[in-house]
Amino acid sequence: MMRSFFATASLVAMVTAASPAAAQEMKAEVIHWWTSGGESAAVKVFADQFTKAGGTWVDSAVAGGANARTAAINRTVGGNPPAMMQFNTGKQFDELVEGGMLIDVDALATEGKWKSVMPEAIVNAATRNGKMFAVPINIHGQNWIWFNKQVLDSVGAAEPKSWDDAIAIMDKVKARGIIPLAFSGQKVWERGLFNAVLLDKGGPALWNGLYSKRDQAMVKGADFRAAAETYAKLRSYVDPGSPGRNWNDATALVIQGKAAMQLMGDWAKGEFASAGKVAGKDFGCAIIGSKGGGYVMGGDIFAFPKLKDPAAAKAQVTLAKLLVEPETQILFNQKKGSIPVRIDVDASRLDLCAQKAMKLVADKSQQVASVEMLAPPAMNGALEDVYSQYWNTPSMTVDQFVDKVISVLKQQM
Amino acid sequence: MSGVVAASTTLPSGAGGAPGRGPRPRRMTPARWGIYAFLLITALFFLLPLYVMIATSLKTMDEVRMGNIIALPVNLTLEPWIKAWSSACTGLNCNGIRVGFFNSVKILLPSVFVSIIIGSLTGYALSFWRVRGATLLFAAMMSVAFIPYQIFIYPLVRVFAFLGLGQSLLTIVIVHTIFGLPTMTLLFRNYFASLPAELFKAARVDGAGFYQIYWRIMMPMATPMIVVAIILQVTGIWNDFILGLVFAGRENLPMTVQLNNIVNTTQGERAYNVDMAATMLTALLPLVVYFGSGRWFVRGIAAGAVKG
Amino acid sequence: MSLARFRLSSRAAAASSLLPAFLVMLVVYIGSTGWTVWMSLTSSRMLPNNTFVGLRQYEILFSNDRWLTSVHNLVLFGLLFVAASLVLGFLLAVAIDQKVRAEDTLRSVFLYPYSMSFVVTGLVWQWLLNPTHGIQKLVRDWGFPEFAFDWIVRQDTVIYCLVLGGVWHAAGLVMAIMLAGLRGIDEDIWKAARVDGLPVWRVYLSIVIPMLGASFATAGVLLSTSVVRLYDLSVSMTNGGPGIASEVPAKFVMDHLFERQNIGLATAAATSMLVTVVSVVAPYLFWRVRKAGVR
Repeated sequence: MMRSFFATASLVAMVTAASPAAAQEMKAEVIHWWTSGGESAAVKVFADQFTKAGGTWVDSAVAGGANARTAAINRTVGGNPPAMMQFNTGKQFDELVEGGMLIDVDALATEGKWKSVMPEAIVNAATRNGKMFAVPINIHGQNWIWFNKQVLDSVGAAEPKSWDDAIAIMDKVKARGIIPLAFSGQKVWERGLFNAVLLDKGGPALWNGLYSKRDQAMVKGADFRAAAETYAKLRSYVDPGSPGRNWNDATALVIQGKAAMQLMGDWAKGEFASAGKVAGKDFGCAIIGSKGGGYVMGGDIFAFPKLKDPAAAKAQVTLAKLLVEPETQILFNQKKGSIPVRIDVDASRLDLCAQKAMKLVADKSQQVASVEMLAPPAMNGALEDVYSQYWNTPSMTVDQFVDKVISVLKQQM
Repeated sequence: MSGVVAASTTLPSGAGGAPGRGPRPRRMTPARWGIYAFLLITALFFLLPLYVMIATSLKTMDEVRMGNIIALPVNLTLEPWIKAWSSACTGLNCNGIRVGFFNSVKILLPSVFVSIIIGSLTGYALSFWRVRGATLLFAAMMSVAFIPYQIFIYPLVRVFAFLGLGQSLLTIVIVHTIFGLPTMTLLFRNYFASLPAELFKAARVDGAGFYQIYWRIMMPMATPMIVVAIILQVTGIWNDFILGLVFAGRENLPMTVQLNNIVNTTQGERAYNVDMAATMLTALLPLVVYFGSGRWFVRGIAAGAVKG
Repeated sequence: MSLARFRLSSRAAAASSLLPAFLVMLVVYIGSTGWTVWMSLTSSRMLPNNTFVGLRQYEILFSNDRWLTSVHNLVLFGLLFVAASLVLGFLLAVAIDQKVRAEDTLRSVFLYPYSMSFVVTGLVWQWLLNPTHGIQKLVRDWGFPEFAFDWIVRQDTVIYCLVLGGVWHAAGLVMAIMLAGLRGIDEDIWKAARVDGLPVWRVYLSIVIPMLGASFATAGVLLSTSVVRLYDLSVSMTNGGPGIASEVPAKFVMDHLFERQNIGLATAAATSMLVTVVSVVAPYLFWRVRKAGVR
C-alpha cells in the first residue's frame, strides 16, 4: 500500500516538475491603496486584463496612501519588492529613482507613443533624467465645484465662473437658510480650498510661481493677497459643524439640498451616483478659473521596482503596457471617477462631468499641474499646516499669513 | 461620592464583611446605593459610544446619512455585519475581514506567550536580584518606551533584512516581543517588588534557585498581574496594524490590515455601518478575553504563603 | 552545601535571564535611537541619506507653530489625562471590589473601550461631540435650546475632548491594575482595621492607597507612555484640528515620517521627545540609586 502511495507521489512530483509552462506563470504582486467598493471594481479592470494576457494579479492593497507607500518602500528597501506599486502623480517616488531601485519604462513609452497622447505636465511628472520611470494611469481633477441644481435654480443662479461669482451665489443662498459652502474641516481640504481660490485669483502664473519656482516676491504680491482675503471671507459661509467632518459627509449635505455647493475632487461623483443623482439634472459640476487655466490635474501612477526574477520582470512589462491601452483606460476610469490619462480616447462613453473634464484637459492652456507634481511632500505639508492655521484663526491677518508662507519657502533645503 | 465615605463609619462586622472575601452584605445601606449609583452612571458614559456603534451598524446607509446618530434603527438590518465579515472590499478581493482572522490568531498566541515569559523573567530578575546595572537597564528601557515606536520601523527592517529574516511569522513575533518588553518588564518588576521580601528570603533559605523561585513561587502569586499582562498584550498585539503590515509577510497579514482597508479609504465611499460592524467584529476576541479574565481577579495567596 | 557557591550560580542565572533584554536593548533601542539622532542631523527626506546639515532641522522644528502647539497640547493633555484616569480607575476598582453584583459584566463594561481600535471609536466620539449632530443637538432637542457642548470645534477647548476620549479608553485598564493590586492586599489588614474601629474611608486613604503604591506607579507609567505615544486618538477624533489646535508630538513624528517624507524633521522631533524624557528620568534614577541598597 505504502509503496504504491510513494510511487504515485513521485510520479506526480515528476510530472509537476517537468511542466515548464506552468512554472513560468506571470505573477505580479501589486501594492496600491484602492480598497472601497468602487475602487475595487476599478482595480478589477486591470486585474482582469492582466489575467487575459496570461498573468496572475496578486493583490496587496493597503488603505491610506501613506500606509501603502510605507509598506511598498519598506519592502523595496528590505529586499523583497512588489512587482508594481502605486504613487500619486508627483514627486513621491523621486528618491527611489535616485537610488536606482526602479526600472524605466521609456522603451514602452516610445513604443506606445505616450508622450503624444498624455498631457505634457503628466508626462513630465513621471519623467526623471529624460526617461519615464512610472506609468500614469489616470487624471483626477482636484478643484471641481459640485452644486445642487435645485438650490441654485431656487435663487436664480447659473454655475459660478469665478470665486466672486460663487460668493454672490452664496450670499443669496445664505439668506434662504441653506448652508452656502459644504465644507470638511480637515487640513487636506482646507488646503484644497485655498489652492482653488489661489488659482482663480492669480492664474497659472501665480500657481507655478509659488509651487514650482518658490518665488517669494509673488507671494508678497497683490494677487496672492487677494486670494488670502477671499479665502478668509469664505469662512463665514461654512457651517459650525464643519471642523473634522469627512468629505463625503459634506457631499451628503449637497446631495440632500442642505448645502449649495462643495469644492471637491472628481471622486465626489461616486457619492452622487450611489445616491441615485444624475449629472445635469440634480447636480452640476464646474471648474473655476477666471485668470486662465483652471483644471488642476492630480492622479495616480504605477512604478516598477527592479526585480531579479526574469518571469516577474516579464510580468511587469506586460502590466505596464496594458494599463495604458485605450479600452482599459475607459473601463477603469468609468469605475474610478477620474478621466483617462490619454486624451485620444472616445469620451462619449464617459459621464457628463468626465466629458467636460476631457474637453478641458485637451486644451493646453487649461492644464494645471497639481502641487504634488511641482513641490516635494515636505513643502506641501508645511504649507498645508499654514493654510489650515490661517483658516481656523480668524484673528490672523493677511500679513501674518504671508510671512508664514514665506518662512516655509525659505526653509526648503 | 460622599455616599461611599461618609454614610458608613465602620465596616459591617459579622457578615464576613472584608471586601473580596466572604458572602455579599445583604443590607443595602446608603453607602451601597451610592456605590451602585456611581457605577451605573459611569457605566452609561462608557456605554454611550458602544450604543452608537451598534445602532449605526444595524442601519442602512441611507438612514445613517439622513438620520440622527442616537436614533434606533428604523429598518433593522444585519447586512452590514455579514458584509463586514465576508464580503466587504479590502482591495481587489472582497472577502471581508474573516480573511485575516486566523492570521491574527497565529500572530497573537506565540507573541503573547513569549513576551510575557521574557517580560516576567526580566521583571523578576530586576526586582529581587542585585545585578549590576539593573536599574540602569530598567531606566533605559523605560525611557525608550516614550519614543513613538514607528521611528524604529526603518532600522528594524534593515536589521532583519541583514539577518536574513525578512518578513515572516517569526519576525513579527520577535518584533512584538521587543516592543512589549518595556511594558511587561515594568508590570512584573513593580508587582514583584511589592510582594513581601520575607517570601523571597524564606525560599532562598530553603535552598531554591533562581528559576525555581520564579516558576514555583513568584509566577503563581502573580496571577492577577499575569492577567493584566495578558489583557495588555492581547489588546496591543491584536489591534496592531503597522507592525503586522511591515513585518508579517503577505501570507500572515492580520485582521487589522483588512479592517484598515475597509475603514480608511481616502477617496472611496465610506459605509459607516459596515465600518462599525467590522470594528466590533475585530474587537470580539479581546472582549472575550476581558470577560473571561474575571475568575483570575481573585485574591492572591500571598497572605497564606507568608503565614503558613 | 556552600551558600556562597549556591548564591553565585543563582546570581549567574539571574544575569543570564537578563541577557535577552540586554541584547534587545543594545541592538534595537540603542542602535535605533542612535540612528534616529543621526538622522536628525541630516537632510533625509523619504529615504535616509547622510548629508550632514548640523542643527538645521532643529531650527526648523522649534520655529514650527505646529510642533510648539503639539508640545503644549501634550503637557496639558498629559496632566489632565493621567490624573483623571488614575482617579477614575481607582474609584472604579474600589467600587467593584465591594462585592457588587454582576462584577464580571461591570468590569467588562469599563474595560471594553480598551479593546477597540481607535480609528472607529474616535469617529464615534467625533459624531457625539459634534455640535450639529451630537450631544449638543440631542440635549437641545430635549428642550434646552441654550445648551452648548461644542468643545470639539473650538480651538481653545478641543484638547479637553481628547482627554475625554483618552479617559474613556484607559480608565478601564487602570481599574484592572488597581483591582489586581487591591486583591493582593492581605485580608488581615481589613480585619485589623475593623478591630481598631477605623472608618472605611480612613482605611482606604491611610492604609490601602500607600499599599497600592506599586499599582499606582505601574498605572502611572503606562498612562504616561500612552500619553507620549498619543496618535490614533488625535487622528481619528479631530485629525489635529481645528487647524492645528489638537496636534500632538507623536502625530507630528508620524506625519512627517510617512506622509510628508521628511525623515530629518521627524527624527528631530523624536529626539526632542527622548531628550525631554531622559532629562526627567535621569534625576529620578539618580535619586533612586542613592536611596537603594536596602534590599
